[in-house]
Amino acid sequence: MREFELEPGEHVVKEARKHWFLFLGELLPFAILAILPFALPKLLILAPPMTPYAALFDYHTVLSRAVLGVWLLVWWTSAWGAFTRYFLNAWVLTNQRIATIKQRRFFVREVSSLLLTRVQDVTTNVSGIVPSLLGIGDIKVQSAGADVEFTMRGIPRPEQMRDLILKYVSAEPAQ
Amino acid sequence: MPDQPLQPFSPPTTLFTQLHLPSALSAGVLVTWALYAVFAFWAIYTLVAVYHWLKYSHASWIAFPAIAAHLFISVALMSYALSGQAFFLSPYLPV
Repeated sequence: MREFELEPGEHVVKEARKHWFLFLGELLPFAILAILPFALPKLLILAPPMTPYAALFDYHTVLSRAVLGVWLLVWWTSAWGAFTRYFLNAWVLTNQRIATIKQRRFFVREVSSLLLTRVQDVTTNVSGIVPSLLGIGDIKVQSAGADVEFTMRGIPRPEQMRDLILKYVSAEPAQ
Repeated sequence: MPDQPLQPFSPPTTLFTQLHLPSALSAGVLVTWALYAVFAFWAIYTLVAVYHWLKYSHASWIAFPAIAAHLFISVALMSYALSGQAFFLSPYLPV
């Protein structure tokens, strides 16, 4: 781990990221924008007053192909950037602590840890039909410090994560 | 408000015919340089993202396929923008 050094005897138990379904939701705007140049001419033909505008979307000229290529390149690169940020945001549970790694944007990275000996309460929250069906939820970890609270949002199988945290909290001797 | 009826729309035949460009600059040269500017921006963005992948992905096996997929698809799209050839993406794009 480059973000933090593992202590002697410390090992990573689980690494979690936001649920893939939420990530797909983030990709949706990019997908819609990418298919817009192909869908728009077909939609314009359906609306008779707008039909002449469909001729603007002729991709057989050099210029229009260049514009289409750049358009697709922009949205592909943006989607890939979103995937990069998705992958670099993670929650790491070790046998001694919980660490959250937040990659807010490029060159803006925040890593914070909470020792398991300080954990007092772990709450899971799954609300809604889709989150219930797909097992997406939040976990709130409260520590002995009055205002220290860790929240993991949109993680897969939060109950499993809570049980793992509690297992290692009870295994860790209080200091 | 003008009282004349609306004229039916006619799409422009070419974009650059009405532009008066200096003799040294042709429309093709302008488009090519605009594309190079976009590709330069893409290259900087990609370098930054790859740097983050390599530094922070904890040597994950996903890092290299993700970078390779990005490079392959981007190069295909750039080639399409420049020449109309999109390699493996050609069947999916108008030529």
